[in-house]
Amino acid sequence: MVPYRLDPARAQAPVGGAPYHEWTAPDGSPWAAFHRAEEGFLLRFPGFADFLVSEDGRLATCIPVPGADPAAYHHLYLNQARPLMLARQGKLVFHASVVELDRGAVGFLAASGRGKSTLAAAFAAGGARFLADDGMVLEEAAAGFRVLPGDPSLRLREDSRRALALSGVDLAGGPVLARKERLPAQARLAHCGQPRPLVAAFVLGQGGCEEIRIRRLSGVQAFAEWVGHAFILDVDDAPWLAAHFDAVSRLSAAVPCHALDYPRRFADLGRLRGAVAELVAAHVRPRDEAHEPG
Amino acid sequence: MNPDDVLAVPAHVVARRIGNETVLLDLESGTYFGLDPVGARIFELIGEGRSIAAIGRALLAEYEIGEDVLMMDVERLVAELRANGLVTLR
Repeated sequence: MVPYRLDPARAQAPVGGAPYHEWTAPDGSPWAAFHRAEEGFLLRFPGFADFLVSEDGRLATCIPVPGADPAAYHHLYLNQARPLMLARQGKLVFHASVVELDRGAVGFLAASGRGKSTLAAAFAAGGARFLADDGMVLEEAAAGFRVLPGDPSLRLREDSRRALALSGVDLAGGPVLARKERLPAQARLAHCGQPRPLVAAFVLGQGGCEEIRIRRLSGVQAFAEWVGHAFILDVDDAPWLAAHFDAVSRLSAAVPCHALDYPRRFADLGRLRGAVAELVAAHVRPRDEAHEPG
Repeated sequence: MNPDDVLAVPAHVVARRIGNETVLLDLESGTYFGLDPVGARIFELIGEGRSIAAIGRALLAEYEIGEDVLMMDVERLVAELRANGLVTLR
């Protein structure tokens, strides 16, 4: 069952008024435009599809452009529209991949193209399970923040797939978007389908270094990174922003967050996995010891 | 800036402590700000309704720093907070 209503394809007619918010691609080209609509919101992905989203973020209608590939606009729904909708519903949603380590979840926050999917796949290929690829959805509970499992697939470039020895892994099919192919979860890429407590987060740097560098971020630095990687549908909704601000403040205080940079060499991914796993274990161990019966 | 000036935090500015730092959000502009530990303490004292001079005296008791340097830092931060609409003169 497709989780949105699909309308017949039609050309993207001009929208009255300027968008209230825009996303641009790294090359400066328009990637998405956010407009207010009678129903709530209109998310326009030029050349691909429009998504009409209800005010409460619970319903979406997809209007593809004529000739659009269904896999393309379904990908846009999964990776862009749905995270925005979940955020509107009150979840904390971030641009991040997530893997399971030490019975907890570890998030890798990064802009597109920085390697978060490759990193998640490297952990999965090394025996860990991944929870999410391009969007981390958090729920806050009394015990802290937990990550909800995302779509059981990873999107990887061909070179990443080859380097991780995933060439024999089945592809989900469909067109290549942004030179990436979608790989569904399978034996070599196990998916964790249960929520996990978020135990640590890493913000990926650009890769302009010769060695692995990990640095703990202060509360304010972590907060800035969480906000910078957050999905926010209505940037003008003051009550929503205030609630989001409170929640992200609590998140910044509760979950260790680190800057992580490393040379983008496939041969170093094993070492990187080890360095991250060791740091995560150090965070988890004191927490476990604090809960052990005396 | 007058040492007897008392500042206030407008209702559209929200603040939260994270450890010994503070993050601010101006709900009117949607802009976020961060304060280091000293800035966070100054902002806290502003919130208590202290004058510039009283803020300086409180910090002198808490930090080992010369009064002139301290007051310059206080006035610089207050000016920056005012310029960004995060505090106003009462």
